[in-house]
Amino acid sequence: MGSGAEGLHVWLNLSLLGFDISITSAVLVVWSAAALVFLLAFLATRKPRIVPGLLQNIVEFIYEFIDSQTNELFGKESRRWQPFIFALFCFILICNLLGMVPAVYPITANINITVTLAVMVFLVYNFAGIRDYGLLRYLASLLPKDVPIYIMPLMLIVEILGHLARPFSLAIRLFANMSAGHLVAFTLLSFIFVFKNVWVTGFPLAARVIIGLFEVFVALIQAYVFAYLAALYIGLAIAEEE
Amino acid sequence: MLAHLAAGLAIGLAGLGAGLGIGIIGSKSVEGMARQPEAAQNIRVTMIIAIAFVESIALYALLVSFMLIAK
Repeated sequence: MGSGAEGLHVWLNLSLLGFDISITSAVLVVWSAAALVFLLAFLATRKPRIVPGLLQNIVEFIYEFIDSQTNELFGKESRRWQPFIFALFCFILICNLLGMVPAVYPITANINITVTLAVMVFLVYNFAGIRDYGLLRYLASLLPKDVPIYIMPLMLIVEILGHLARPFSLAIRLFANMSAGHLVAFTLLSFIFVFKNVWVTGFPLAARVIIGLFEVFVALIQAYVFAYLAALYIGLAIAEEE
Repeated sequence: MLAHLAAGLAIGLAGLGAGLGIGIIGSKSVEGMARQPEAAQNIRVTMIIAIAFVESIALYALLVSFMLIAK
């Protein structure tokens, strides 16, 4: 446990300016997840038909779902930010589902990947706010209104801490959910070696199957929660001032 | 030794809190669905998301307890 970095196979040792940029199994899985998202979207929309085929139907369903969830958050800017949320949702969902495949390194159970995604969301929503308001007005919007002047410094500190807690909680939530799922599966299967009795073997296996089905559900929920919170933060940053 | 006790306490207390939270969410959403069956679909989606939030708090404690054992 810890960072979730155990079990990594290093395929190619590389370093750039003192940074370790080795090609590990996690890097390969990230690349294949990105390629899968691209292929899915590309093949589904290459020849769009009025009566959609299976693949187009799936992608349209996901897009309409994201659209219905984020429309009221973004208001008239939904055209600009929805593709980002859609890509985020698809990428995290495919990463989570790839982690279920045996012998594939579960990348969303590695804290480096989730922190990267969360920091990206942090940068994007701050960029969205600055883009709409300009730097000074965006920073001024951090200060609450109708508050006595002597509480202002305290409120500013609380507000900044709240903003910094957002990427932290996003990263930890995804990481903890995914690694807990893999840990439960591992623990169940290790019961076979604990009991060393052929009559008990069926129960861990059956429980593993049920937990596996539940983990598919968790993968969907966590991808949705991550994407929805990212949409919420962007929506709050670009919200019209009353 | 004390680290193991701390790990057990961490996940136990977090499980207590998260269980209470999920129980409240479930009971209130069943009440809402019974009162307004036409809104049941929306309530169910919101309920599942709220449960996911509560669950992740319990998982933070799970991580902390594993760190306590593993160090």
